Amino acid sequence: MIDRASVVVVGGGIVGSAIAFNLLKMGMKNVCVIERSYVSSGSTGRCAGGIRQQWSSSMNVKLAMRSVKLFEQFEKEVGMNIEYYQGGYLLLAYTDSESDDFVKNVKMQKSQGLDVDILTKHEIKEKFPFINVEGVKLGSWCKSDGHANPQIANIAYAIAIRKMGGEFITHTTVTGIDVQNGQIVGVQTDNGYIHTNTVIDAAGFESPKIGEMVGITIPVYGERHQILVTEAVNHFLDPLVINFNHNYYVRQTRHGSLIMGQGDVNPAPGEDIGNTIEFLEEMSEKMVRDFPIIKNVHIVRQWSGAYDMSPDAQPIIDESKSVSRFIYATGFSGHGFMLAPAVGEAVAEMIIYGRTVTTDISNLKMDRFAIGIEREHNVV
Amino acid sequence: MEGRILEHPILSFTRQKRVRIFFEGNEIEAYEGESVAAALHAAGIKVLRYTPINGRPAGFFCAVGKCSSCLMEIDGVPNVRSCMTKVRDGMQVRRQHGKGDLV
Amino acid sequence: MKEYDAIVIGGGPAGMSAASVLGDHVKTLILDENDALGGQLVKQTHKFFGDHAHYASKRGFEIAKELTDEIYKKPVDISTASTVIGIYPQNTVAYVKDGREELVRYKKLLIATGAMERQLPFINSDLPGVYGAGAIQTLMNQYGIFPGKRFLIIGSGNIGLILAYQLAQTGAEVRMIVEALDKVGGYEVHANKVKRLGIPILLKHTIVKAMGDESVQGVVIAEVDDKFGVIPGTEKEIVVDTICVSVGLIPLTELAEQAKCKIEYIPELGGYVPVRDERMHTTNSDVFVAGDLSSIEEATTAIIEGKLAAMQIVKDLTKTDLGKEISDELKTLDIFRSGPKSFKIRKGLEKMGIKVPEIEVPKLFQTPIENAKSKLHAVIECTEEIPCNSCESSCKFDAIKVGENINTPPIFDPSKCTGCAVCVTACPGLAIFMEKLDESPNATIGIPYEFLPLPKFNEKMWGMDKEGNYVCDLTVKRVVKNPNKTNIVYVELPKEFVDDVRHVRYPKKESPFVCRCEEVTLDQIEKIIDSGITDFEEIKRMTRITMGPCGGKNCKMITLGIISRKTGIPISKLSHGTSRPPVKPTEFSAFLRGDEK
Ligand SMILES: Cc1cc2nc3c(=O)[nH]c(=O)nc-3n(C[C@H](O)[C@H](O)[C@H](O)COP(=O)(O)OP(=O)(O)OC[C@H]3O[C@@H](n4cnc5c(N)ncnc54)[C@H](O)[C@@H]3O)c2cc1C
Ligand SMILES: Cc1cc2nc3c(=O)[nH]c(=O)nc-3n(C[C@H](O)[C@H](O)[C@H](O)COP(=O)(O)OP(=O)(O)OC[C@H]3O[C@@H](n4cnc5c(N)ncnc54)[C@H](O)[C@@H]3O)c2cc1C
Ligand code: FES
Repeated sequence: MIDRASVVVVGGGIVGSAIAFNLLKMGMKNVCVIERSYVSSGSTGRCAGGIRQQWSSSMNVKLAMRSVKLFEQFEKEVGMNIEYYQGGYLLLAYTDSESDDFVKNVKMQKSQGLDVDILTKHEIKEKFPFINVEGVKLGSWCKSDGHANPQIANIAYAIAIRKMGGEFITHTTVTGIDVQNGQIVGVQTDNGYIHTNTVIDAAGFESPKIGEMVGITIPVYGERHQILVTEAVNHFLDPLVINFNHNYYVRQTRHGSLIMGQGDVNPAPGEDIGNTIEFLEEMSEKMVRDFPIIKNVHIVRQWSGAYDMSPDAQPIIDESKSVSRFIYATGFSGHGFMLAPAVGEAVAEMIIYGRTVTTDISNLKMDRFAIGIEREHNVV
Repeated sequence: MEGRILEHPILSFTRQKRVRIFFEGNEIEAYEGESVAAALHAAGIKVLRYTPINGRPAGFFCAVGKCSSCLMEIDGVPNVRSCMTKVRDGMQVRRQHGKGDLV
Repeated sequence: MKEYDAIVIGGGPAGMSAASVLGDHVKTLILDENDALGGQLVKQTHKFFGDHAHYASKRGFEIAKELTDEIYKKPVDISTASTVIGIYPQNTVAYVKDGREELVRYKKLLIATGAMERQLPFINSDLPGVYGAGAIQTLMNQYGIFPGKRFLIIGSGNIGLILAYQLAQTGAEVRMIVEALDKVGGYEVHANKVKRLGIPILLKHTIVKAMGDESVQGVVIAEVDDKFGVIPGTEKEIVVDTICVSVGLIPLTELAEQAKCKIEYIPELGGYVPVRDERMHTTNSDVFVAGDLSSIEEATTAIIEGKLAAMQIVKDLTKTDLGKEISDELKTLDIFRSGPKSFKIRKGLEKMGIKVPEIEVPKLFQTPIENAKSKLHAVIECTEEIPCNSCESSCKFDAIKVGENINTPPIFDPSKCTGCAVCVTACPGLAIFMEKLDESPNATIGIPYEFLPLPKFNEKMWGMDKEGNYVCDLTVKRVVKNPNKTNIVYVELPKEFVDDVRHVRYPKKESPFVCRCEEVTLDQIEKIIDSGITDFEEIKRMTRITMGPCGGKNCKMITLGIISRKTGIPISKLSHGTSRPPVKPTEFSAFLRGDEK
């Protein structure tokens, strides 16, 4: 293993990988990612892969729009086909207050330059005749939303990082960070010591543990979310459909399988990523009701993963005030995959230029919790 | 030596009720208790589907529901393991092409 | 939710014998996915070994019937056609019956799910007509349907041998059994039974590929060397319509894994097996295993293991003193496992910390070698008496003699040959080649070639043998174009193959399928590994291997084997993923409550 690096990224999930990739792209040398297990072993490997721009907070909209630009170039830039598909996102509203929210959000999203529309119940039925629209008031539809394969994206970054001369070390755990007089001097791992003065905490829902190593508190916690996949069937479902009211999302991968999940009715704490039979029962009930044609489709696998939740369901991206050049990018609250390309770019800019250039993410700093900021509502 | 075994040195086979099942619209011989894959095999039909990626012909492999090699469209439902599905009178069986259509 | 003292999953000999014992003492449920209990036994028409107490000389299906009759007399809840799809928290078993999910709770669980067949990837192994041994038995012995006419069987273990015999009983023609090892895997008596029917067992042979468009029409087999590599030039085509794969069984450990039992790789016991003690207790205090799931063995040992596990469960739940009965069963087990054929099992059990009395281990031995020749000269392969002497006329140096009667096959004098190769272009039968064998490890051969496109200097091609089988990779060194369109392609190839290669062709993309569900080939996996991705989990995500509807039952071991071969890391040291429910693809409709179905 190397013993010196200009930057050590802790965590080789999609976020850490995107940051390292962008650092290398911007010309930085000796970038090193340390991953405890295999590539995509964390939340990234369990993620549904949805990429949407229709958020209720303008910060999320902006970041996601930048990400979509980067996803569109991903294959060319990073060098691998990640099954990216812009089939749109369809959000369904069932109540008057939900409808009002959608209308309000669409207005805000449009002001950010997003091509998004409200669909009437009739238009939804017309476009997607296989959806049971009983009870639906209206929908919000953005055709440039989409999805991709997060696991392959993660591996694609890892391969690119190695090709660009970076170190991507797997099966190695960061066990401590050496700080002297508020300056980082090195990182201890179970495979050796690496001298460095810059550390990026991208350890997902375990990022607080890395924070503790330098004495700072990161208000992030893991929350179990379950998910399932079916056998492949021929393509029929273009958009990823989100139904907040019935509490689910569903998409069809390019491979043909349907991936779907929900917010756990009784979420288990983050370290528990087991499966429950109730999940299959709850999902079957509502999915067959809303998508009658999938009644006889076979479920082939269920699993679960942790959302890295922050208090307002928005990412926390900042540099520590007490320890210089300790940067954290975490708290993605169930949307870290889609934001990763833009976040990777922004964090790399922070490190190289001392400030972000492409997308202003100052709203995502830690001190917002002292001021109080509005929670992102559109989360499953 | 095709079709059903009538005499066997060790076993004796008593067939249950004759039922009508249709393969690609054509009736084939089948008896209650038989699996779809078995009845088709007796009728000389080995290709049960064409695979999604390479379009290769595939038949059954394990015959006990463990390998998913035998997926067919049965009564309009795709991806049914024909080795584990018992024949029913009037059943419509089709070769599956690719991953199966829902719409 | 219904609660039982004991739930048994799997109604083979292990599960049935256990449920019989359990039913006498505690509230018991036995689940099996088939319509009838019996497991593997219902398909066996041959007589079993063993002793009187363990159904010796009864036929498999008869044993199944006796065990079934016995269990139906006991106060045991029996649920057949019930597929267990997962083990969930709070000792919950989920199964599907009649297309509906059912949930039950246990105090103690015995998993006796047996094993499934190993696959063997070879070219076209996905063709209809390539069937597992169990599938053929199901068709033939359960449904009474002729599985095919002409067979090739791969694997000479007991299952392969028995299958050959059973096929012969239906009147089918078994062309041969091929076995990669240098000795028969199964019992000698089983082998002799098959041999005297005139079915050859080809040792040190393997299947190269199946042939046919829509279903099997033939097979290419070949001899293998000590490392199980195909020996070039030994390929043979055989006409068969069915190929039976019987290369062993793999324990079905998924449910045990989901029940959080520790799983370890012990190849002697069949691969990944649940870790357990002498009395079949796993690392989960509420879970026991028995039968083929715990080690690929026999019906006899499965029955004893089932009883043992049951007695221990009864003891744990009711404090009944069964010490004597348990130690009697343990002794019987030791006796069954003391023969020389059980040495692998003994070794495997020892790895798990279970000691079994010892017997000497059989030894292995090895192979033949080849010879060589020298200088650039013609090679004439014309032994048939046909009226032709064009070679003799074309040669300006008097090196080829046919003589007065032009039907005489040519005689060749290498000392007069200058290597001009005019005869090669002259021969109407394309039966003359050029050859040069010097001190270097590579040889050169010149091959008459009448196809387009014409190969180019330094191109990599495949050397093909007389039957059109791939022999080796080779490099084009010179292409001599001739006005009569019989061009000569000179190629460089490893010396060993000069006698085999008689044709060159552009490499064809043909690689065996490792994963049927997602259609992943050996080549794809090897390429990923070559690109530096060697972690099973990463390979899985890149190729979708093990992610299809079978959940990796078929391809996981093969993939681990490929990783191990390419990286040199033993399989036992590789991570092997996590089993997740449902074990069998399950329709959404199974989970629907209420009358909507
Ligand atoms: C069921 C589910 C569905 C989801 N669906 C979506 C979706 O549709 N769209 C979307 O955008 N997002 C989705 N998400 C969220 C998304 O998966 C995450 O936000 C994102 O993957 C976070 O990436 P990350 O790199 O921060 O974390 P991770 O992928 O968890 O990576 C962190 C890595 O750090 C490593 N690590 C931890 N501690 C150490 C240490 N001490 N030393 C070394 N390495 C360490 C871990 O092994 C891990 O690999 C979903 C999540 C789940 C669970
Ligand atoms: C061709 C052949 C010849 C043999 N010859 C002999 C012989 O001569 N002498 C001898 O002693 N032994 C012989 N055996 C071995 C013997 O049959 C096995 O060792 C024995 O059947 C193992 O018993 P078991 O109960 O562990 O498993 P099995 O008999 O395999 O039973 C397991 C049962 O569990 C069920 N099951 C699996 N998964 C699930 C699930 N998820 N849900 C519900 N049910 C499930 C299966 O359907 C099956 O019914 C032979 C085997 C074969 C294949
Ligand atoms: S043949 Fe294997 S599942 Fe049907």
